[in-house]
Amino acid sequence: MSDLDRQIEQLKRCEPLKESEVKALCLKAMEILVEESNVQRVDAPVTICGDIHGQFYDMKELFKVGGDCPKTNYLFLGDFVDRGYYSVETFLLLLALKTTCMPTIGTHLIDSVLQVRYPDRITLIRGNHESRQITQVYGFYDECLRKYGSANVWRYCTDIFDYLSLSALIENKIFSVHGGLSPAISTLDQIRIIDRKQEVPHDGAMCDLLWSDPEDVVDGWGLSPRGAGFLFGGSVVTTFNHTNDIDYICRAHQLVMEGYKWMFNNQIVTVWSAPNYCYRCGNVAAILELDENLERKFRVFDAAPQETRGAPAKKPPPDYFL
Amino acid sequence: MEWQSDEKELKAAGAELLGGGRRVGIRLRGWEIESCKRSILSSSLVQQWEEKLQTSHLPEMVFGESSLVLRHLNSGIKIYFNAFDALCGWKQEALPPVEVPAAAKWKFRNKPTDQVILDYDYTFTTPYCGSTGIEINPETERRSPYESSCLNWEDCQEQIDMVALAAKEPILFYDEIVLYEDELADNGISLLTVKVRVMPSGWFLLLRFWLRVDGVLMRLRDTRMHCIFGEGTKPIVLRESCWREATFLALSSKGYPKDSAAYSDPGIISERLPIVRRLTQKL
Repeated sequence: MSDLDRQIEQLKRCEPLKESEVKALCLKAMEILVEESNVQRVDAPVTICGDIHGQFYDMKELFKVGGDCPKTNYLFLGDFVDRGYYSVETFLLLLALKTTCMPTIGTHLIDSVLQVRYPDRITLIRGNHESRQITQVYGFYDECLRKYGSANVWRYCTDIFDYLSLSALIENKIFSVHGGLSPAISTLDQIRIIDRKQEVPHDGAMCDLLWSDPEDVVDGWGLSPRGAGFLFGGSVVTTFNHTNDIDYICRAHQLVMEGYKWMFNNQIVTVWSAPNYCYRCGNVAAILELDENLERKFRVFDAAPQETRGAPAKKPPPDYFL
Repeated sequence: MEWQSDEKELKAAGAELLGGGRRVGIRLRGWEIESCKRSILSSSLVQQWEEKLQTSHLPEMVFGESSLVLRHLNSGIKIYFNAFDALCGWKQEALPPVEVPAAAKWKFRNKPTDQVILDYDYTFTTPYCGSTGIEINPETERRSPYESSCLNWEDCQEQIDMVALAAKEPILFYDEIVLYEDELADNGISLLTVKVRVMPSGWFLLLRFWLRVDGVLMRLRDTRMHCIFGEGTKPIVLRESCWREATFLALSSKGYPKDSAAYSDPGIISERLPIVRRLTQKL
């Protein structure tokens, strides 16, 4: 059994790796990720997953429903970390799976020159939580500090975040991104030329791809009442899909009680993969399975049962709040 | 696992837990106190609520079927808490939106010409301090919206006795119910919760609206209610509202940290926020 296989087995039990192992894993993953395009090509069949947010045991449910990686080809739309209890184990497991599933030479080379298809792959793209600033507020940084006693693992991981691709294109027909569209982007080629190897900026195309939301009450572009953050309406999506000759957009980023939600006449779908979000919302989660003909099947699933969550639920002491 | 009360303590206080089905609560000294925790609203219910509230925006997580109800059986007085009434309050107050720090930079961005600027209060700030009503008979419930006219809260000089409440009396029933929550699209948090604890001497609750817009401001609107069990036909309930608010700028000028990570627990940092409104009333 190779070191990596052993590490995957360990992570599947939700046991974190040693700091030195994390460092080595991140270096290896970086070599693979650096070769990926900002619009990473993905072949069908593939299963698309939305936000996970450190809900490790619920991600195990996801793999139960969708099949093990690498047997099933996966595309994760970002937001692996923050909010849940196990961001470290969640992200490292996905990264370790990626490191084993991918050939070590650049895939763009294989795809374009040799025309070889690797069915067993996992694609990870960046969500708005894969950022230094956000993880310091919403949990991942604190979790690393608690589990390792230093910020080193957080640093290795956030350095990797900068290399994650920004979007994926499935069989040239389905565009996948964490947040949504940007007024600065009308063609996929404009995404391809972004210099993504940086912290997520506060504005601009890269920021929009990770942060924006579709919105019913506007038809064109809307600006959030926060004064930052774009909202896009149905006609924006129609134009984008037409210009780029795609069937629809698949994105994540927003909680949906039913696990997935179509908008604008099936031109965009939100997929949410964190069941019982924050361990209290009671929502179901979904993944979207596409077969080799791009036929769709949403698989809806519930949170992992309490007893399989590892840590025993303790009786909290009475709270003498004032 | 939920918190559990001690059977001996219940017996000594003459209390019984409400049982049967999914009911969670306690009955003692003429009061019936019941909490209900459910999932967030489904997409179709969200749509219904949006129509009823005449808005196209609701918090991301509305625990619309969760509630806390306190019934005084003799008088029919009912004090209750739910997300709908709280959101009616948000809709009425309609505060102007708060700009996030990135907004300054965005003003200089190339924007689409046909851009629409949304201007609702995305922080879901509410003046809600609970709902009240008289319930003659649980079967023919007369529910009054938001603030009932048949029950009056009058300003008073008395204060809630915090020293007495700090005593470690047995807690016979305890629960915390989230009414709504929004992550402000990862720009902070807006959270409305109600906590209740029932002791042999009386009950105490805290309804808390907590808002943090990262890098901009924090707002805490607390409503505390305390009732000491008595023999009279009409119960005496004290209600104290305390609103606090501070900008990150004001806090950092006082030497407090200005990073949002330092402000995750409102219970710990509330003292740092100056009081903007305070009111004590009696039912």
